[in-house]
Amino acid sequence: MRTMETEVLVIGGGATGTGVIADLALRGFRCALVEKRDLAHGTTGRYHGLLHSGGRYAVKDPKAATECIEENVILRRIMPHCIEDTGGFFVVTPWDDDAFGDRFMQGCRDTAVPCEEISIAQMLREEPHLNPEISRCFRVPDGSADSFLATQSVAALAQAHGAQILHYYEVKHLIRQGDRVVGALCYDLVKDEEVAIQADLVVNAAGAWAGKIAHTAEVEVNVRAGKGTMIAASYRIVNTVVNRCKMPADGDIIVPVHTVSIIGTTDEAVPDPEHFAIEPWEVQLMMQEAAKIVPGWRDLRMLRCWGGVRPLYQETKVADTRDVTRAYTLLDHETRDGVAGFITITGGKWTTYRQMAQVTVDRVCEKLGTVRPCTTHETVVPNPFEQGHGRKHHNLGQRLADVEEKEAFGQLICECELATRAHVEHAIIQGEAKTIDDVRRDVRVGMGPCQGGFCTYRVAAIWHELKKPPIEETNVTLRDFLQERWKGLMPILWGPQLKQERLDELIYLSVLNADHLPGPRASRLGPAMYEPGTAWESEHAHV
Amino acid sequence: MNSMANDVLVIGAGLAGLTTAWQASRHGKGVRVIAKGWGATHWHAGCVDVLGYWPVDSETPATNPAATLPDLLAANPQHPYALVGLARLAAALGGLQHLCSDAGYPLVGSLDKNWRLPTAVGAARPTCLAPATMIAGDLDDDTPMLLVGFKQLPDFYAHLAADNLVQQGIPARHVVLDLPALAGRNFTTAVNLARFMQQSDFRAAVAQAVKPHLGKAARVGFPAVLGLEEATAVHQDLQVQLGRPVFEIPGLPPSVAGMRLHRILKAAIEKNGGQVHEGMEAIGFAADGGRVTAVHTETSGRPRQHRYEQIVLATGGILGGGIVTNHAGEVCEVVFNLPLRHPENRLEWFRRDFLDKQGHPIYRSGVSVNENFQPMDGRVLYQNLYAAGSTLAGFEAIRERSFDGVALATGYAVGNLVSN
Repeated sequence: MRTMETEVLVIGGGATGTGVIADLALRGFRCALVEKRDLAHGTTGRYHGLLHSGGRYAVKDPKAATECIEENVILRRIMPHCIEDTGGFFVVTPWDDDAFGDRFMQGCRDTAVPCEEISIAQMLREEPHLNPEISRCFRVPDGSADSFLATQSVAALAQAHGAQILHYYEVKHLIRQGDRVVGALCYDLVKDEEVAIQADLVVNAAGAWAGKIAHTAEVEVNVRAGKGTMIAASYRIVNTVVNRCKMPADGDIIVPVHTVSIIGTTDEAVPDPEHFAIEPWEVQLMMQEAAKIVPGWRDLRMLRCWGGVRPLYQETKVADTRDVTRAYTLLDHETRDGVAGFITITGGKWTTYRQMAQVTVDRVCEKLGTVRPCTTHETVVPNPFEQGHGRKHHNLGQRLADVEEKEAFGQLICECELATRAHVEHAIIQGEAKTIDDVRRDVRVGMGPCQGGFCTYRVAAIWHELKKPPIEETNVTLRDFLQERWKGLMPILWGPQLKQERLDELIYLSVLNADHLPGPRASRLGPAMYEPGTAWESEHAHV
Repeated sequence: MNSMANDVLVIGAGLAGLTTAWQASRHGKGVRVIAKGWGATHWHAGCVDVLGYWPVDSETPATNPAATLPDLLAANPQHPYALVGLARLAAALGGLQHLCSDAGYPLVGSLDKNWRLPTAVGAARPTCLAPATMIAGDLDDDTPMLLVGFKQLPDFYAHLAADNLVQQGIPARHVVLDLPALAGRNFTTAVNLARFMQQSDFRAAVAQAVKPHLGKAARVGFPAVLGLEEATAVHQDLQVQLGRPVFEIPGLPPSVAGMRLHRILKAAIEKNGGQVHEGMEAIGFAADGGRVTAVHTETSGRPRQHRYEQIVLATGGILGGGIVTNHAGEVCEVVFNLPLRHPENRLEWFRRDFLDKQGHPIYRSGVSVNENFQPMDGRVLYQNLYAAGSTLAGFEAIRERSFDGVALATGYAVGNLVSN
C-alpha cells in the first residue's frame, strides 16, 4: 500500500471541495483533494447551471437569497469566463397566482436582489418563444454557469498554488486514532491500488455523500439526497433564464447553457445518492411544465436527461426535502461529536460555493491555530484552457469565433459543440483524462445532437495515439463512453433523437463492429447506470 | 411530363425503394420514385450484409449465410427473409451483382460465404457481397498490410485500425499522409477526398507518399474514398502504382461506397425510363374502395397528387424516417398511418446497454405484411399497397447485420410482384 502525507485533506471534487482546496492553497496550507471520479462528476456537474440572483429564494428563504446575490456579484468578478450573463426573468403564467408577483418584488427589495418589472411586450421582444399568456415579468441578474469549467478552473488555481488534486481516488474509510481522524484510506481506481493519506485535518466536502464518509469514522451526519431530474433540449429556445414566479416547485425553471436549454427540476428524496431511477412521471412532468413557459416545448428535440442529488443537511427528519434550508452547514466534529481533526461542510448550492469554502477554511485556520485572511473574493480564477480572454463573460459565439480566427474548421472533432483537435488533446494530456467522459466535461465533446455519434470514434483514436495504452483499453474506453451517453438518453428517447441513436448504432455496430473488438465490454471506469424506471404516476405529478 | 404509364409509385429512395423501382422498370413498368431524401446507402458501408451474426449474441460471425439462414427462419418465422425465401434472396443478390458488373463496379461474393473485412476501428466485419475495391482486405488472409490515413480526414484513423488488427493476428502497420493538396482546406470529407482521388496527379502524389512506407506489406488499405463515379479505375490505378493489392475500408458517414450503389441503381431506373425524385416528401394520401388512389407530396401552394396503379412503401423504419415516435410514446407510420407492431409500453422500448446483444425492442417496430408484402391488419388494408425494406416489422437489422440484405431482397420481391 502506498502512503502519502499532507496538512489538510479535502474529500470531494465538486464545487465545494475544489473551492475549499483553492482557498486552502491560497492561504498557504499544504493540501490534497481526493475525488472518487472526475472533478464535477457528482452533483456539481449535474445541476441545471443556474447562477442564482437570489430571486428563487427571495420569498421563501431570505437568508439564502442574500447569500446568493452577494456571491453572484463576486463570481461575476472572479470567474467571468465560466458565466454567461443571460439575465433572468420571473414570469407569472396562467397557472400561477398573479398576486405572488407583489410578494416577489417585496422579497427582492428586502434581500437586496435587484429586480424590475418589465412589460409583456418587452419580454416577448427579448424572448419571443415565451408563452404570450404570461401576465407579469420581473427581471433579475440570474446567469448561467459552466460548472465543469468552473470546477476545473478553481482546481487549476489550487494546483498553481501547490495543492494536489487526486481524481479517481475513492475514500474507503477515514482513519481514526482514538478520538481523532488522522487521514483516509483511499482506493486509486486507475492504478487499482490502495493509498493511505495522512493529514492533520480532514475536510469532508463530499456533498450528498458526506454522510457516508462521516459514517466511516463513526460520526453520524444526516445528509438527505434530494434527487432533481433535468432535461436538456437541443436548442437555445431562450437566451434568458426563465423562472416561474411562484414558490419553488417541480419544473419551474429553464436555463440556457451553451447550446442547449435545460428544464429543471424535480425534488425527490432518494435513499442512496448512487442508486436511483429517473422515473417516467418525472420526464412527463418536466415536459408538461416546460410547455407552460415555452408553448411547443414538447415538439423540440430532447437531447438528454439526468438526475443530480442535492445534499440537504438536517438534524431532524423532514418529509419534503424542498423545505430543508438551502443554506449551507459547517459541522465541527470536535465540538459536535468529540472527534477531532475532522470537519464537514455540506448543503448550499453552486452559487455560494466560494462563501462555503471561506467559512470552512476560516475554521481550519482556527483548528490549526493560525490566522490567515481569505483572498478568494478578490482572486481572479484563470481559465486553464484559454489565455487572453481578459475579464469578459462567456458568450455562446466564442468558440465559433475562435475556430474562425484560427481557421481550425478542418480540425473539428465534435461539430455539434465546435470542439477542435487541440481542445481534445489538451483535455487528454493536460486535463489528465482517464475516460472520454472526462474529456467531455472539459471540452463538451459528445454533448450535442449526435450525442457522440461521430466524435466518440475520433476521440478514441486521438486518445489511442496520445496515450498509447494497450488496444483493449482504448476499445473499452470507447465502449464505456457509448454507454455513458446511452445512460442519459434512454429516459427521453423519442422523435428525432431516437432516429439519431439508430444511426449511432448503425455506425458503431454495423459499420465499425465496435461491439466485437478485443477487450472487455465495460470497465470499472464506465458509467453507473440509473436504476430502471417504474412509475408512470406520482402524487407529485399533476399530469 | 411523363410519357410512360403510371404503373408503380415507390416512396423512398434507399436500397429497398431503388431495388423495387429497378425491378419494376426492368419489367417495362412506368415507375416513379419519390423520396424526402437519400436513404441509408449514404450512411452504411456500401456492402450487402445478409446475415452477419446468428444467434445475434454469437461472438463469432456467421461464416455461411446460406447455411445459417434456415436457423434464423426457424427461430423467427415472421422475419422478412421468411416471406422472401432463400431462392428469391439469392436471385436478388445475383441480380444486383449483374447490374453492378455491367456498371463496371463488381460486387464480389455469394450467399454461401461471409467475407470478414476490416472496419475503421480494426474489427472484422462480416458481409456477404462487397465491392471488388474492398476484397483485398479479407481477414481470412493474414498477409501483412499497410493502412493509409489522411491527416485532414477526421473520419478514419489508420493507427487505431492497425493496432486492433495486430491484436487479432493480422500484421498491420499504418502511415498518415499530409499532402499539400489537402493542406489549408477547411473541411475534408470522404466525399471530397473521393473526388480528389479521381484526379491522376493527386493519385500519383498519394502513391508517391505511400511507397517509402510499403516495406513488407503485401496489400495496402485506404479509407473508402477511392473515387465516386470512377472507383474501379481509381482502384486499379493505385494497385498498379503501388505494385500490390489495394483495398478500401468504410469509415464514418457519408459513405462513398454506399453512394456508388445508389448511383448505379438510380442510373438503371432512369435508363429503363423510370424517374427518381428526391426532395419530394409524401405527406398524405387518398383512398377509395380499398385502394390507394393518390399519394400527396408537398409543393408550394398545394399538395401534389400522384396517381399510380401500385404503390410501394419503402420509407424505412425509425432510422429512415418511415416510422416516427413522440414524447407520448406513440409510434406511427408516416404516410398511410398503417398499424404497426411495436412494444406497447415505453418502458419496454430499450434495454440497459447501448450495445445490447439482442438490440432494443423499439427498433423492431414495423408494418406487418402478408406473403405478398401487403400491409395487414387482420386483412389486407389496401389492395394496391406494398411495403419493403426496414419499414417491415419483426427483425433487428443491425444486430443481425441484415440491413442491406433485407432491403435488397424485399425490394426485389416487391418489384417483381408489382410487375406481374
